[in-house]
Amino acid sequence: MVSDSDARFIEIENVRLAFGSRRVFDSLDCRLRKGGTHLLLGGSGTGKSTMLRMIGGLQRPDSGEVRVAGENLASKSESELGEIRKGIGMLFQNGALLDSMSVADNVGLPLREHTKQSRDEIHERVAEVLRSVGLLADVEPLLPRELSGGMLRRVAFARAIVMQPEIVLCDEPFSGLDPLNVTRIEELLMTLNRELGLTIVVTSHHMASSLRMADQMILLRDGGCITGTPEELADHDDADVKEFLGEDGRAYLARLHELQDRGEA
Amino acid sequence: MTALVRQLGSTTSRLIEGLGRIGNFALALTAALPKPPTRFGFFIRALYDAGVLSVALICLSGFTVGMVLGLQLYTTLTRFGAEEGLGAVVGLSLVRELGPVVTGLLVTGRAGSAITAEIGAMKATEQLDGLRMMAINPIHFVAMPRALALTVAMPLLNALFIVFSIAGAYAIGVSLQGLDGGVFLSGLESAVRFTDDVDQSLLKSLVFGMLLGLVATYKGHACQPDAAGVARATTSTVVTASVCILLADYVITALWSV
Repeated sequence: MVSDSDARFIEIENVRLAFGSRRVFDSLDCRLRKGGTHLLLGGSGTGKSTMLRMIGGLQRPDSGEVRVAGENLASKSESELGEIRKGIGMLFQNGALLDSMSVADNVGLPLREHTKQSRDEIHERVAEVLRSVGLLADVEPLLPRELSGGMLRRVAFARAIVMQPEIVLCDEPFSGLDPLNVTRIEELLMTLNRELGLTIVVTSHHMASSLRMADQMILLRDGGCITGTPEELADHDDADVKEFLGEDGRAYLARLHELQDRGEA
Repeated sequence: MTALVRQLGSTTSRLIEGLGRIGNFALALTAALPKPPTRFGFFIRALYDAGVLSVALICLSGFTVGMVLGLQLYTTLTRFGAEEGLGAVVGLSLVRELGPVVTGLLVTGRAGSAITAEIGAMKATEQLDGLRMMAINPIHFVAMPRALALTVAMPLLNALFIVFSIAGAYAIGVSLQGLDGGVFLSGLESAVRFTDDVDQSLLKSLVFGMLLGLVATYKGHACQPDAAGVARATTSTVVTASVCILLADYVITALWSV
């Protein structure tokens, strides 16, 4: 049984936002459950990354409220937002690693800034979290420009989770990764969600991985959204929903449904 | 007529808004200065980039400016039979005006623009947002060490510029034109007073360093997060900081004379 506060862990209420003459959100309402894995879907320019930025407090809405654990982000100062952000890890679309710092320094930066851990403890934790995303110790002294696109994203992901945040926001976590690493990141996200109860919000066009992970899907369109479980959206009549799930997505969900009915999944 | 008034109102309002933003940024930068951690490592690195890497440019420019000054002033003073005053005139013009102003403009072009471009590129690639998401204040982490480095580097580079300029003027006046070395140096020594001229020079360069630090870091933080935006911000830093330096030079000179 999910409590009311857990069901409204992240709450977006009547949010309106426009960039100049371009309207992005027009009365967007949405609730994200604590400990859930939420998938944001939508075409280009529908506001997927902007919604992640609003949850992280990087983008203030023109009107409406964005609440994280009951705190209305729109009314917070930058230093108050800083305290809230200590519990949020964010993977940016292009990694956003500091290009003047090595991989180890990038990943260890939040630990050096916000904990009293010794140099050895930080080094150990950095190595551990890099291993969890499939990177060996030999990448630690490299600069971001010396990494491939896939490695860079995994380092950025390692930095997002190094503080063991309550919420992880991932903007396209699977883009640019080979199938092996897609599976690795997907399993890591699912493990973090299962074992540590992390709330995960993902934007992705990688439908198979997203459907395996997500327990709530949010399709952004026309300034608002349609939400539901993957199964609910698979049965949805709306043409946009069908288009986004695609034949593969619906077939995957039908197969999953079948296996669940037989008790095999 | 209505359109003109509207245009004027809009420009004035944008100007006031811009001044308000840079004022807020200056307050945030000042507030970040005493906050721990000290960012000493970043400060040293910024000091190296802004100061040490500018040394060759400053020395070469200083020596060249000194040579031109020596040649022009020697020719002019000779007309009045006052070539013995070369050391004094060169010393006063360099220490009071040319040293701090030319150093300020050179450092603006070399280090100020680079700082704006670096911070602008960090903004365009979401590195500043990445810092904010890690609960790290980008003004404290990125802007403060660089602005402080420019403030510290400017008086030191100014001193270096003046020394090399005097050497340039000495080389032309004494070695080439045949003026007595002792006359040049004694004229310089008697004309330039530490408590008045050198103090003024150091104060000017300190203020120019602070202004450049503020403008360069603000323009980087406030730029449009794309390639064209970074380019515009870099140009704007050079123009704005140069104008600020020239205006501040007049204000300090006028106040000093009171």
